[in-house]
Amino acid sequence: MSAPVSISLVVNGETHDVVVPPRKLLSDVLREDLHLTGTHVGCEHGVCGACTILIDGQPARSCLTYAVQMEGHELSTIEAVADGETLSPLQQALHEEHGLQCGFCTAGIVMTFEAYLRDNPDPDEAEIRDVLSGNLCRCTGYQNIVAAILKAAKSMREGKQA
Amino acid sequence: MSVDAPFSHIGKPLPRKEDRRFLTGQGRYLDDVAIPGALQVCFVRSPHAHAKINGIDAQAASDLPGVVGVFTGKDLAQWTAPLRLAPPIEGLHPVEMTTLPVDKVRFHGDPVAVVVARDRYVAEDAAELVEVDYDPLPCAADTDTALAPGAPLVDDTLPDNLVSHQSFSAGDLAARRSEADRVIESRFNLHRLTHVPMETRGCLADWDAGRAHLTMHIGTQVPHPMRGQLAARLGISETQVTVISPDIGGGFGQKIALYREELTVAALSRHLGRPVRWREDRMENLTSASHARETHCVTRAAVRSDGRILGLELALTEDFGAYCFYPANYMARVIAMILTGPYKIADYAFDVKVVLTNKCGNGPMRAPMAITSWVMDGTIDAVARELGLEPVEVRRINALGPADLPHTMPTGEVLEDITPRETLEAAVEAVDMQAFRDRQARAREEGRLLGLGICTVVESTTYGSAFYKAAGIPGSGHEAAWVRIEPSGVVNASVGLMGSGQGYETPLSQAVAEGLGVTPDTVQVHMGHTDIAPYGMGSRGARGATAGGGTLYLCAQKAQAKVLAIAAGMLNLNDAQGLRLHNGAVERRLEDAWQATGLTLVDVARRAYLDPTALPEGIDPGLDVSLTYDPPAMTYSNATHACEVEIDPETGRVKIARYLVAEDCGTVLNPLVVKGQQQGAVAMGLSGALLEQVVYDANGQNLSATLADYLVATSCELPNIEIIPMHTPNRKTPAGIKGMAEGGIMGSIGVIAGAVNDALAPLGVSADQMPLSPQRLRALLREAGNTD
Repeated sequence: MSAPVSISLVVNGETHDVVVPPRKLLSDVLREDLHLTGTHVGCEHGVCGACTILIDGQPARSCLTYAVQMEGHELSTIEAVADGETLSPLQQALHEEHGLQCGFCTAGIVMTFEAYLRDNPDPDEAEIRDVLSGNLCRCTGYQNIVAAILKAAKSMREGKQA
Repeated sequence: MSVDAPFSHIGKPLPRKEDRRFLTGQGRYLDDVAIPGALQVCFVRSPHAHAKINGIDAQAASDLPGVVGVFTGKDLAQWTAPLRLAPPIEGLHPVEMTTLPVDKVRFHGDPVAVVVARDRYVAEDAAELVEVDYDPLPCAADTDTALAPGAPLVDDTLPDNLVSHQSFSAGDLAARRSEADRVIESRFNLHRLTHVPMETRGCLADWDAGRAHLTMHIGTQVPHPMRGQLAARLGISETQVTVISPDIGGGFGQKIALYREELTVAALSRHLGRPVRWREDRMENLTSASHARETHCVTRAAVRSDGRILGLELALTEDFGAYCFYPANYMARVIAMILTGPYKIADYAFDVKVVLTNKCGNGPMRAPMAITSWVMDGTIDAVARELGLEPVEVRRINALGPADLPHTMPTGEVLEDITPRETLEAAVEAVDMQAFRDRQARAREEGRLLGLGICTVVESTTYGSAFYKAAGIPGSGHEAAWVRIEPSGVVNASVGLMGSGQGYETPLSQAVAEGLGVTPDTVQVHMGHTDIAPYGMGSRGARGATAGGGTLYLCAQKAQAKVLAIAAGMLNLNDAQGLRLHNGAVERRLEDAWQATGLTLVDVARRAYLDPTALPEGIDPGLDVSLTYDPPAMTYSNATHACEVEIDPETGRVKIARYLVAEDCGTVLNPLVVKGQQQGAVAMGLSGALLEQVVYDANGQNLSATLADYLVATSCELPNIEIIPMHTPNRKTPAGIKGMAEGGIMGSIGVIAGAVNDALAPLGVSADQMPLSPQRLRALLREAGNTD
C-alpha cells in the first residue's frame, strides 16, 4: 500500500493526469477517476471479459491490469467506438440482430471484435465463436452475437470496397 | 384499409430502444450511479459451514486509516427487524432470521460483520483484520446427512432439518399399480446451480436525515415489494423509502429478495447519516448470493405394456440450504403441481420434502420448476426404454390432444388454450425421426454414439392473485399501470415491472401503442422507480408480457376511450362510436373504410390540458389514466424441444448437432425479443445441464468460488437454436398474451438428458445425475465397459 502516484493516461486520444494508488486496477481508474463507466467489471479475475478494453489496439482485461502500468500506452474504451451519433458497423449489427440483452457484457464484446474484425475481415462462424469464448454472456446464448459479428464483417468489407 | 385489421404494433420485430445506450457505454447500472462522499462496505464472511460465534474483535480493523466503523449482527439487531416467514401452509415450519447472524453462522460465506470505509480497497483490507472467534460445529452438507437421526440442526428453533413436507394423492395409485403391466421407477438428480448475473448484486443507500427518507438505488426485479420490505425491516413507513432500480445486468431471479447485505447497507446509511454503497464481488456472488435447484426426484410410473401411464407417483427432495428468503416449499410445490403437464394422467400422488443444509440458501432461478419437464419426459423415456417402445409413441399414447382441452390436472390446475400435441408433432416432423434412427443405427455400427431427445414443456407463466391465495403465499399477482398523454401529445407510461435485461422498454411500448392507437416511438415506458411507477408486483416468473404488457394494453385502451370522447366533441359528434385513434390520428369509420378526420392526438391533448372548458359534459381535464389488472389464476405456454447429440466416447464430451424448439407462447408483443428469450433460456438450461455446478465438500466448503471453477457455457459449447413459432392466443388474457421465457430452461434440461440417454441406451447405462459433464459421461462409459 504505497502512496498514490501521479500518472498520465492516454484514453481515447485524450491525456488524463491522475493520482492513483499503485494497486488500483485500471478498470477502477477508468470508471472512478476518469468517469468512463462504459467499461464494466464482472468478475475481477479475468474470466468473464466484461472489462475488455484495447491497450495499444489489442484487447486486454482492464481488471487484471494496474493503471500505473499504462503510462506510455494508448487505451481505447467503448465510449470511443461510435462516431458521434453514428454507431460502428459492429454496434449497428448488434442492434439489428438483437445481439445484446442486459448489456453488461456488451462493451467487452464490442471491444474484442472491433480489434478482431480490423485484423480479420472475413472470419467464419467457428472462428468467431472461438474468439467470442473469451467473453461470457448470460442472456443471449451467443447466437445473435455471432450473427451480428458475421453481419458486421460483411458490411465492413462492402464498405471498404465502396 | 380493412376495418378489422390485425394488430398494428403488437407482433412487430422492432429493434430495442435500450440498445443504443448499452452499445455506446452509456447504460447506467448500479455502479455507474455516483453520489459524492459515499462510503463503501465489505462484508466479513464465515470460513466455516457451521460454527458458533464466540466473539468478534474488530479493533485492528477499526484502527486502519480510512475505516469508519465495523458492525456486527448485534448492531444490526438494534436497527432492523428480523425476517419472519410464517405463511399458513400445512407442513411448513415458520422460520425467522436476523439481519446478520448473532450466535452462529450457517454456511461458508455467511456474513458475520461489515466494514465501512472510505473506499472499497480499504474496506477489503480492514475486513481481513477482523478476528472472529468461532467454535466449529458439525455440519449437514447434504440432505441425507441433514435428515439422519441426530443430525446437526441448521436452524436451532426447528425440531429437525425437514423445514417443509407436503403430500398429495388423487385417484387410487395402489389400484393403478396392481392393474399395470409394469411399475417403472426412475431417478432424476438436478444439481446445485446459481444464477450468475453478469452484474453481481449491490446497492447504494442514501439516507436524507433532514427528510428522514431513504433512497435505495438497487438493481431489483421488484421495486415496490422491495420498498415494502425495506420499510418494514427498518421500522419506517413506505412514505419514507424510495427504491430506484437503474439498468440491471441480469437477474434471473437472484434480484427479488431483500438480502441481508442490502438491508445492512440501508441501516448503515441511516445510522451514519452518509451514503453507503456495496458492490458484491464475484466470489461472494457465487458462494453467498442465492443458489438454486439441487432437487432429487424419484418417479414410479404404473404402465400398460403399450406405454400408457395409468398412475404416477413423485417423491421429491430439495436441498434448500441454510436460510429461507422464500417459503421453503416455494419452488418445489410448483414442480409437483404441474408435473403431469402435457399428459393425460388422472391418478397422481406426490411427496415433497424440503431440507435445510449448511449451504447458501436457495431461491427461485429462471424456471424455479426447471426440473419438471426432465422428470416427466424422462419418465416417459424410461418407460419407452424398459418396454422397448419408440419414445415418441409413448408420448403420443399419453398426450393431451386438442379434444382433451380444457383439461384439469390431478392437482386441480386447468390447462386450456395450449397446444402441446401440435408442438410435439411439429418437432417430430422437423427432426425426421425415421431418418435420424437410420443415421443413428449406421453411426452405432461405426462405434459412434448419436442420440435424439424430445421434451414437451407446459410452462406455468403468469400467476394471478387467485393462485397466491390458493397456495397460502402472501402476495398478489395483479399488476398496475398508468398511461399519460402529455400536452404535446407524446405518451409517458409506467408499470410496476422492472426488467433485468430482457428489453421491456420496446415490447411494452408496443402494447401501449396498440391499445392507445399511436406509434411505439412516441411512447416511453418508465419502470423501476417507486415514486413514479404504480405499486406493482414486479418481474418474476414469466409475468412480464401478460401481467405487465396486458395491464398497459388495457390501460392504453382506456386512455384511447377518453381521447375519442374528447375528439367526438371536437368533431361535433354525439359520441365516440365509429371513431378510432390510429397512429396518432383520429379516424372515423365510414361504410367499410377508416377515413381521416383531420384531428390528431396532439389536438386532443391540447384541448384536454389547455382548454378544458371546451371539453364535453362530464369529461375531466387532462389525459392521465390508470388501471389495475389481475390475470387469470394461471396462464400456460407450451413447447416441444428436440435435440440431437453425439457423445465422444473418448472424452465424454456432448456435442449438440441440432437443437430446435416448436413453441406456442400466445400473442407475441415483439418476436425479436421473444426469440432472444427463447435462445437465452435454452442456453442457460444447457449450460446448467452440461457444465455448471456449485460444489460443496463434505465439510460444507464451497469449492466453486470463481468463474474458472463454476463453468458458464461459452460460445463454443452452445448450439444455434432453430425456432418453429406456433403461437395461438389465450382467449382469457388481454390481446391473447400467454407469457414465456422460463420454459426454455425446462425443455433444454429435459431434452439434453433424453438425447444423452438415447445415445447411451445401447450400452445399457443411463444418466440420472447432472451435470452431464465429460467426467460424468466418461464414468458412465467406463461402467458400460468402454475403458478406452
